[in-house]
Amino acid sequence: MNEKGTSLWATAWQQLRRRRMICSCLWVLGAFLVLALYGEILHQWYRFKDQTPPYQRVDLQKRYIPPSVFRHPLAPSPDGALPGLATVACRLANHPLGTDNLGRDVLQRTIQGARIAFLVGVVTSLIAIPIGVVLGCVAGYFGRWVDDLVVWLYTTVACMPGLLFVLAIAMVVGKGLMGIYLGIGLTTWVGLCRLVRAEVMKHRERAYVMAARSLGFSSGRIVFRHILPNVFHIIIITFSLRFPAAIGTEVFMSFLGIGVQGEPSWGVMVSNARLRLWQGVWWEMTAVTVVIVVVVLAFNLVGDALRDALDPRLKSQE
Amino acid sequence: MIRFIIRRLLYLIPTVFGVILITFILFYAVGGSPASVALGKNASPQALEEFDEQKGFNKPLFAGFWTDTRALPAWESKEGMSSPAVLPVGTDSAASSGGGYRRVMPGGRYRLPTAFGLRKGTAYRLRVVCRSAEGGVLRLMEGTDAVAEAAVTAGRGWTRRDLCFKVESDDTLVLEGLQGGIELRSIRLQRRVLHVFDSQLIHFLGKLLRWDLGESIATSQKVTTMLRRGVGPSLLLTVPIFVGELVLSLSLALICAYFRDRWPDRALVFFSVALLSINYLIWIIIGQFFLAYKLSWFPIWGMESWTNLLLPVFIGIVSSMGANLRFYRTIMLDEMYKDYVRTAFAKGRSPAGVLFGHVLPNAMIPVITNTVVAIPFLYTGSLLLESFFGIPGLGGMSINAINSSDVEVVRGVVWVGALLYAGASLVSDICYALVDPRVKLR
Repeated sequence: MNEKGTSLWATAWQQLRRRRMICSCLWVLGAFLVLALYGEILHQWYRFKDQTPPYQRVDLQKRYIPPSVFRHPLAPSPDGALPGLATVACRLANHPLGTDNLGRDVLQRTIQGARIAFLVGVVTSLIAIPIGVVLGCVAGYFGRWVDDLVVWLYTTVACMPGLLFVLAIAMVVGKGLMGIYLGIGLTTWVGLCRLVRAEVMKHRERAYVMAARSLGFSSGRIVFRHILPNVFHIIIITFSLRFPAAIGTEVFMSFLGIGVQGEPSWGVMVSNARLRLWQGVWWEMTAVTVVIVVVVLAFNLVGDALRDALDPRLKSQE
Repeated sequence: MIRFIIRRLLYLIPTVFGVILITFILFYAVGGSPASVALGKNASPQALEEFDEQKGFNKPLFAGFWTDTRALPAWESKEGMSSPAVLPVGTDSAASSGGGYRRVMPGGRYRLPTAFGLRKGTAYRLRVVCRSAEGGVLRLMEGTDAVAEAAVTAGRGWTRRDLCFKVESDDTLVLEGLQGGIELRSIRLQRRVLHVFDSQLIHFLGKLLRWDLGESIATSQKVTTMLRRGVGPSLLLTVPIFVGELVLSLSLALICAYFRDRWPDRALVFFSVALLSINYLIWIIIGQFFLAYKLSWFPIWGMESWTNLLLPVFIGIVSSMGANLRFYRTIMLDEMYKDYVRTAFAKGRSPAGVLFGHVLPNAMIPVITNTVVAIPFLYTGSLLLESFFGIPGLGGMSINAINSSDVEVVRGVVWVGALLYAGASLVSDICYALVDPRVKLR
């Protein structure tokens, strides 16, 4: 057993690692994950202690503090002496990205926003991907009326006018995170379902499925134990490409005020910062914009690279 | 071809039915009655009931004979709840509570506190879940006349009893216990509807057939009028975006295909991913702030002349170009590697000749289907652009409606949008069959 075989995943990983751009994107995503986890821990900690977390604490004395770099961190101390290294570091670490109109720290709020964005990406995927995969597998494998039913279902859902449908679901469910989860989760499974269905249809006729069938395995076992691993790369690709889309939609919904309530999400921050922009308070807007763009860009690039590495044929089927 | 079109038309029926069903489930079954939104929190049950009667919300959802009425709020005890939150049975002091259940004493009479008079000549039923240790009889009286009676056999288990009656007078309803004491777990007053299909679904279908989309809760305008009025400005905004972006991204995609895998292509690909990653919202805010406010190149807000449309159209094109450029490039590249392209190059046609004479027509097939399907979305306008730039179209209207929970308007826009989309996918399939004869064989 000395023969060295590389799996699809190992080959893909090697392909990704060879590209420097993708590596840096992966680092960005790693940082995003860490920040989101940190935000979650912080959030749970303050909830456990039943205190107002610092990113929600209003301090009108500290309104509109610009980012620390713009506050002359090298300015001499009151006694005229040049500031020491420790003083400069201290000054830089104090509200590094400035504060907003209620004196809340922009950096901390951005981290909380990362937490919400991460939650939205994961939870909506947990809703949409199982629906798409199960329906797609079932339709592709059993064909006939099951297939007709599933095709009918997804054509119908695909007919609903995109973003408006998401907003309508959120409106009916009620404002808050649950509305975002359900709105995005229940509408974005169609593409995946189509892809999985087409792929499973192809696999249904393959020799290994015939063999499994002649061994008397149950349909459920064949579909989910034998076929599903062979179409799993589609799920991975879809996940990495729908994540940024979900983040974008969350920003949009929270901005409109039907999304996150009473928590600092990126959308809430954009909506807040937009009004201050006209007063010349640019740092909150800049911080949020840069973070959103960087995270979404990293996700898109990694998703594209994953798709090229795992299944280039999917490109034209978007 | 005719047969293909007819078959495709028949496919449309289940799709439209599905759209109706989804809209119905979303706005009626999940959403429920918008009465309290429309009339405020302190509206009387009678006003709410009248609102529901007018809009058809006081019927069974799909089918059925009985429907809840707001005259007597349905009451159910939660086990172990000792203090009665709702006291539906009687103001009589004899009504004692044991473990959260209402107890009907033998010989006791309890007035049912109906919020408003029941409809005369209509059948009602009082559905109670009860039990009695020693067995008893529940009797319902209208004033002093007994109208219904149900015997409760002795036992520990809960049983359901229906007391059906027809309302004849304005007298109050009185529940009387005979023989043994009876414990009540839940009480529900329901009204009988005209027939089994006198339901919200059928009501909704009928309204759709008459093209009656209801009235806005906020402005009490007809939704159809609002749609008709909003469609013009929306199209003024979305059609230029659509056309401009199609032309621009197609020509850039051709450039990509020509320079495939060389630096202009790579640069354009990265550019499109970058464009794609910038949120729509950010484009609008930055564009409005810098181009309109700081530089005053464009008007900021309103809909006075065509110059108001320039900036939103520009932002619309830029923000949606990324995704489309990428999509068209993939299509073009798929074609570029095919044999006929190599043959064309081999026989000495110029690159431009190959691109425009061979690649573009073949690549048009997926482009057309993609484009036709996108057309109905023009109708809803652009949600954000319109509300940001003060264009009185359907997009801004929908956003306002969602913010004020104006269910009827949202439902109207969603429903018409879905209908248009279903129609467009039909047209797109027919186009596909027209330009690509292989399709019909399938």
